[in-house]
Amino acid sequence: MYRYDTIDKEFVADRANEFREQVGRRLAGEITEEQFKPIRLMNGLYLQLHAYMLRISIPYGTLNAAKLRKLAWIAKTYDRGYGHFTTRTNLQLHWIKLKDAPDILEHLAEVEMHAMQTSGNCIRNITADPYAGATSDELDDPRVWSEAIRQWATLHPEFSFLPRKFKIAVSASAKDRTATRIYDIGLAMRRGRNGELGFEVMVGGGLGRTPYLSHTIREFLPTRRLLSYLEAILRVYNRHGRRDNPWKARIKILVNQLGAEEFARQVEEEWAKSDHELVDLPDIELARIRGHFAKSFETLPARSEAFEAAKAADPEFARWTRHNLHPHKAPGYAIVDVSLKTPGLTPGDASSEQMELVADLAERYSLDEARVNYQQNLILPHVKLEDVPAVWRELKAAGLATPNIDLVTDIIACPGLDYCTLANARAIPIAQQIAERFADDEKAEEIGELKIKISGCINACGHHHVGHIGILGVDKKGEEFYQVTLGGSGAEDAALGTILGPALPYEKVAEAVEQLVEVYLRERKDGERFLDTFRRTGVAPFKEAVYADVH
Amino acid sequence: MPTYIKLTQDGLTTVEDPFTFVADDDQYIPPGDVILSLARFQTDGERLLSEGRAVGVRVTADETVESLAYDLPRLSVVALEFPKFRDGRQYSNGRLLRERYGYEGEVRAVGDVLREQAQFMLRCGIDAFEPADGSTPEAWAHAAGRFRHVYQRAADERVPAFVLRAERQ
Amino acid sequence: MKGLTANRLIDGEVVFWNAGEWVERFADIEMFEDAAAAEAAEAHAKAQPTVVVDPYLMDLVEIDGVWIPVAYRDRLRALGPTNHLQHGKQAEGGKVVETLQHAHTAARSTGRINLIKRK
Ligand code: HEM
Ligand code: SF4
Repeated sequence: MYRYDTIDKEFVADRANEFREQVGRRLAGEITEEQFKPIRLMNGLYLQLHAYMLRISIPYGTLNAAKLRKLAWIAKTYDRGYGHFTTRTNLQLHWIKLKDAPDILEHLAEVEMHAMQTSGNCIRNITADPYAGATSDELDDPRVWSEAIRQWATLHPEFSFLPRKFKIAVSASAKDRTATRIYDIGLAMRRGRNGELGFEVMVGGGLGRTPYLSHTIREFLPTRRLLSYLEAILRVYNRHGRRDNPWKARIKILVNQLGAEEFARQVEEEWAKSDHELVDLPDIELARIRGHFAKSFETLPARSEAFEAAKAADPEFARWTRHNLHPHKAPGYAIVDVSLKTPGLTPGDASSEQMELVADLAERYSLDEARVNYQQNLILPHVKLEDVPAVWRELKAAGLATPNIDLVTDIIACPGLDYCTLANARAIPIAQQIAERFADDEKAEEIGELKIKISGCINACGHHHVGHIGILGVDKKGEEFYQVTLGGSGAEDAALGTILGPALPYEKVAEAVEQLVEVYLRERKDGERFLDTFRRTGVAPFKEAVYADVH
Repeated sequence: MPTYIKLTQDGLTTVEDPFTFVADDDQYIPPGDVILSLARFQTDGERLLSEGRAVGVRVTADETVESLAYDLPRLSVVALEFPKFRDGRQYSNGRLLRERYGYEGEVRAVGDVLREQAQFMLRCGIDAFEPADGSTPEAWAHAAGRFRHVYQRAADERVPAFVLRAERQ
Repeated sequence: MKGLTANRLIDGEVVFWNAGEWVERFADIEMFEDAAAAEAAEAHAKAQPTVVVDPYLMDLVEIDGVWIPVAYRDRLRALGPTNHLQHGKQAEGGKVVETLQHAHTAARSTGRINLIKRK
């Protein structure tokens, strides 16, 4: 993975010092809360319901053992011994004290981490395919480009006060594991006619109050022109995005007001006027970054007898391998998904002990790498097949071997009203109730792929618009109600969900999900996922089942 | 005479401001050097310049520097107005003035100008400041020099990390 | 009936106003029957920008003989998150905490506008 050089190290150290000084000025009353708020937000520090919340950046979701251990230690030392991994592959700590925040940033800097630009109207943490560098279906390692973007975006002097926040996702496989279509800019790598690599550039996706899937404004951008092209997009947005109303300030609104074609024309015009060579990284720098991500794998047989024997001997292990393993590009290796979705617990939460365990496993079995994905799970990307049984045993002992990746209990949920000041309703208990209803692994497996996503308010941090079943907390006269949508997807077949019907009360949601699943099981044809059945039948049979007693 | 902070050969220092700002509804244009709104410049600029005065234009965040392109060589100051420190449009205007139009006169930040933004402003080609937070040139220089490194080229002379790295290899 | 609340600047802790002091337990909050007195306290709090952030008045309602916040969000602030009952103010227990925990239904959200602004 990318390792900081002196420049990077001094940069995050300078940032921590700057923040220490700014916190000092705030505590001394030299700056007002109004002036301080954007400063703390640009360092990932929010004020939430119960305390401050620190959002720590995990660039493109990549971690090593030292980083994960440090996160565990920070959670234990300055928080309550747990953290929440988010849909943007950041880690949120919910019980932080303002006075500790500068120390925490310093501790993060020791392991080449920071909380810069995890909030505020700037270019946020870059997300990339969590299987990068491990999956066989990628054209290139998207992290090379993500790291290039990360550095370019860091304290960008022109783009630190955009109309609104700005999120970029990079994918390099046909399979979209980063939800590129719902990003301000989604970059999907493509191979050009002459074999060279480039990006399809998609702009204007986003969820929130007005959800949009993005538009492709350029089919093919040669990879080495990436940064200058991004600079052109950001400049058009910075100058012309709306600033009078924060709800209309995202780039998606500009793109849709101008029309994608006109927006593309303006970007191309701006790009044509700029000197690309001044912005784009020279090959030598790209090669330096690339070198950091190179990994060498042992030459192993594609099949591991020990692994096969363990599967044959233990159906529980076999079940877990069916859902939590993904093929690796190197023979004899596997990608291991570590579920943070134990039914009954909080989706995306990990205790310090669990983080430490995953750190140990990463070090011992996964070439010192771990990942976070937007489904709020962890990943050990490079595990030898023969080691998988041992890894599973240790995960299981720590409560981390739930065999449910992409199943009904692998639920995305934002913190909701349990933590978030913006929430209308709680999200976590809804996730818990649903997961408990489907806690039987066999049942969950029979149901198959089903992505449930829950947000506590219209900001859509839990991606509810793109859930196969999406659940949105709304406030009806002060009571928690939930609007259900069906048929959304954040993957290659991206789509926004359709509203099922009137919002349901808190007590009814888990039952409704069960009814929806029953309809699917009844209606499905061979090999159909929930989403496929829904797309075929439409909303009617589902609606009928849930609102039957209302008729 | 009022003062402001300016980047000179000696670094950031306090200098006296010879310019008077003429608001759109001011009937009377005082003698001497003036800064006008864009609209006012379009009506009165020619005449004032022909009187041998130094003339500057104050550009609001809604205005774009493209509309000044042909007049830039004759302008002594372009004042970029920050309605709120969170409004980042003037950073683009600053860079365009320097990098695209090669403007060499003073680019001054006016309005809600706070020291936390000092580095961004300098990097976007702004070389004069009317701080709204009472910052001294020392405080301004301290804030602007916070970071030993930068990651991207902009309108200033700072050498980005990727260039330093390539030189080292 | 109203009560005054805020988050403490230095650590973000939820605090409640009682006769010029900020206290941590909701059970110790001062209740204002008189709107003018409540507003005077709020003005006082707003003049303490280095002590608290975003002070605001919340409506209280009497349930089972105990006065608690009307808004569900304010109840959670007085308790802690419902997914970790060992964290936050609720860990201490007691009659007021129990009333807050069991008063689910009568919630009505107010003060929300103030809260939205804070983020
Ligand atoms: C707890 C404090 C949080 C606050 C105050 C917050 C605030 C917001 C707001 C205001 C938006 C809407 C922005 C807009 O459309 O302009 C938003 C969107 C989003 N948030 Fe959060 N959020 C929080 C936590 C989270 C968490 C925990 C996650 C991940 C689970 C997350 C992921 C996202 C994502 C993915 C979006 C994007 C939707 C889009 O592109 O429009 N946020 N957030
Ligand atoms: S969706 Fe709403 S409730 Fe959930 S974290 Fe985002 S802002 Fe908070």
